[in-house]
Amino acid sequence: MSAIRRRLTRGPAIQSQTIRRGAGETALPYAMVTPLLVFIGVLALYPTVLTAYGAFVHNDALDPPNHFTGFGNFQSVFNDPQVRQSLLNTGLYVIFGVLLSVALGTFFGLLLQRRFRGRGVVLALMVLPWALPGVVEGVIWSWIYDPTFGVLNSTLKTVGAIHNYQLWLGTHQIETIFFISLVQVWQITPLAAILILASLQAIPGELYEAADVDGANGWQSIKRITLPLIRPGLAIAVVEGLVMSINIFDQVYVLNAGASTGSSLMSETYQITFGNLNFGQGYALSLLATVTTIVLSLLAVKLIYRKVEF
Amino acid sequence: MRAKRRFTIAAMAVGALGMGVSAASNASVVKATAAASSIRGQTINVAIAYPAPKAELAKFTAQTGVKVNWNYIQWDSLQTKIAAAAEAHSYFADVADVDWSKVGEYYATKWFLPLNSYFPLSGVKAQYPQAASFIRNGKLLGMPMDASLLVTTVNEKDFKAAGIKQDPTTLAQYEADLKAVAAKTSVKHPLDIPLAAAEGLSTYWYEMTAAFGGQVLSSTYKPQFTSPSSPGYKALAWMVNAYKTGLVPKANLNMQDYQALETDQAHNLTASVFSDYSGDVGTIYNVPAQSKVVGQVNYIPTPGLHGVAPNLGNPDGIGIPAQAKHVAAAVAFIRWMEQPANQAAFAGANGAADVISTFPLPANRGGLADLVKSGKVPGAATLAALLEHHSRAIFPAGAPPWYAQFSNAVYTNIHSAAAGAESVSAAISAIASTVKGLAG
Repeated sequence: MSAIRRRLTRGPAIQSQTIRRGAGETALPYAMVTPLLVFIGVLALYPTVLTAYGAFVHNDALDPPNHFTGFGNFQSVFNDPQVRQSLLNTGLYVIFGVLLSVALGTFFGLLLQRRFRGRGVVLALMVLPWALPGVVEGVIWSWIYDPTFGVLNSTLKTVGAIHNYQLWLGTHQIETIFFISLVQVWQITPLAAILILASLQAIPGELYEAADVDGANGWQSIKRITLPLIRPGLAIAVVEGLVMSINIFDQVYVLNAGASTGSSLMSETYQITFGNLNFGQGYALSLLATVTTIVLSLLAVKLIYRKVEF
Repeated sequence: MRAKRRFTIAAMAVGALGMGVSAASNASVVKATAAASSIRGQTINVAIAYPAPKAELAKFTAQTGVKVNWNYIQWDSLQTKIAAAAEAHSYFADVADVDWSKVGEYYATKWFLPLNSYFPLSGVKAQYPQAASFIRNGKLLGMPMDASLLVTTVNEKDFKAAGIKQDPTTLAQYEADLKAVAAKTSVKHPLDIPLAAAEGLSTYWYEMTAAFGGQVLSSTYKPQFTSPSSPGYKALAWMVNAYKTGLVPKANLNMQDYQALETDQAHNLTASVFSDYSGDVGTIYNVPAQSKVVGQVNYIPTPGLHGVAPNLGNPDGIGIPAQAKHVAAAVAFIRWMEQPANQAAFAGANGAADVISTFPLPANRGGLADLVKSGKVPGAATLAALLEHHSRAIFPAGAPPWYAQFSNAVYTNIHSAAAGAESVSAAISAIASTVKGLAG
């Protein structure tokens, strides 16, 4: 129990101060969160409600009029082989994106926990990929992956890992998805690392000292102390990875255009909505993405998150 | 007005909004006939996929008193914004891009106002070589803003280095010349085809099909490419084979059109683009800051099966969205954009000052004549001749309303065939199946 909490539960003077604050300033917290609630309501909840409604309406600009269609839009999109392919691809984006970003985030978080010269600069630089727009990242990585003069080919050839320059994107589905995923992992890993680093820094040093006294080695300390105590950070990092991977679009669009080898749920939603002008089916896919994101995120939080108190 | 809205509150809101829009459109049409003085002081929003010619625009404002907010938006993003605004029945711009490929769509959706009452069809047809692309069932849905053709460009220096003395006039000769360039020069993959699954690949196939002596869809939108002896089939097989045999750089599998032109052709990684865009010599290859082939690339008449092939048109137009607020001012702006002297200036007749970057050619004959007369744009006379004598619309009946879905099937399947994920015949079957599903 923290010192502050101990103090709050002890002295009567402090208790009465707490009661007075509650009576006098009850409205203040609500007033302070109201702008945020209005903001979320207008920009997130209202469009979500409209999308949910639109998902059950036949709304095809080339085939009016609009009318209620029940689950008709969902049926149509699930019967579309391109949509099914994009759903499968998105599943792979999620697996690669979440696993790699969380694993690398944990690794870099552990590295950054140690004090070393230039740590502040490294932390600042780490945020850079996260701050870059997805399109810019796609362009940068298209140069890295270029089969004629890309740095990936040149490096691998120099170290003898390949004999000839390779085409990394567009020929094989899993390979294409893996290399597009890497771009997104590059983008989201810094945030995962910072979230995990924040959790790591909250762990009291006494715990490691006690483990040391008890004869625990490095791995045992990580397994028995670090990993259980960074679960809140891990949960948020997993949710972040899920949200970004389910909604991957920019990197797919720049690196693989409309090819089915790497199409994602969002790229297919874009094509159906703004190419085919079938807004009803577009809403249905958007709703599907939203619900999937919420369900998987809640599941991840339930499985990973544990309240940690020191 | 769309009928049968069964869902109470939201549906009534949409209906009321729709009626409001309809009334506003009618009122706008009436307003447009008012005297020019009534537009003075108005501000219009223009959304176009070209950067603004600022000096010229200032002259328009001085002449008319209309202030123009010119929003330069990338083509893909612009189409998304037009569709989103139309779906929401909300105001987006007073003047917006009308691409040739969208005309069928806009005719079906009524997202743009017909311009017949401002620009009589007879005059438009007489003055604009590519006017047909913007007319559907007698309705003029956009005014041609530029003239644009799919043309063939070659790097003359590379061709000469390979011992080629005359430009190829047939496809067989063209292929033999490309192989000679690959064998005798440092350009080992001389043909530039953007094979990424994107629109530029579709138009490449249309032009290649025209070179093989055919078209992809009939005037009733029936597939014309299913037989192995058809031009469309041969064209697709030729493109895939060119990639697989190394005539095309390996990296092109994931390159979109301008990415390929700027990376390959402008940097001498390739020596020819069979289906290039008119204007690219001046706006890409001869720009020292972005090109290593300045003065080396020229337009040639496109080689066909038995001689010179047609050049398909892919012009951009401008139109007035149904939700426009200032129709009269928008019409005045379009008239100004269409003036031959301005059209020629946008294409570079007055030098760099008034030019619109990447603007291919003037849309009307007056502007074309002024441009050729100026002598300031390389290849302008060749392009003007191609436009007058070899230009043809991609679809004889105009772009179908479902063009975007058709093109999506075209580029995804050609890309797959080039990547080796499916055969040429499977790609052809998939495209034909899409057309049958869409056209009925």
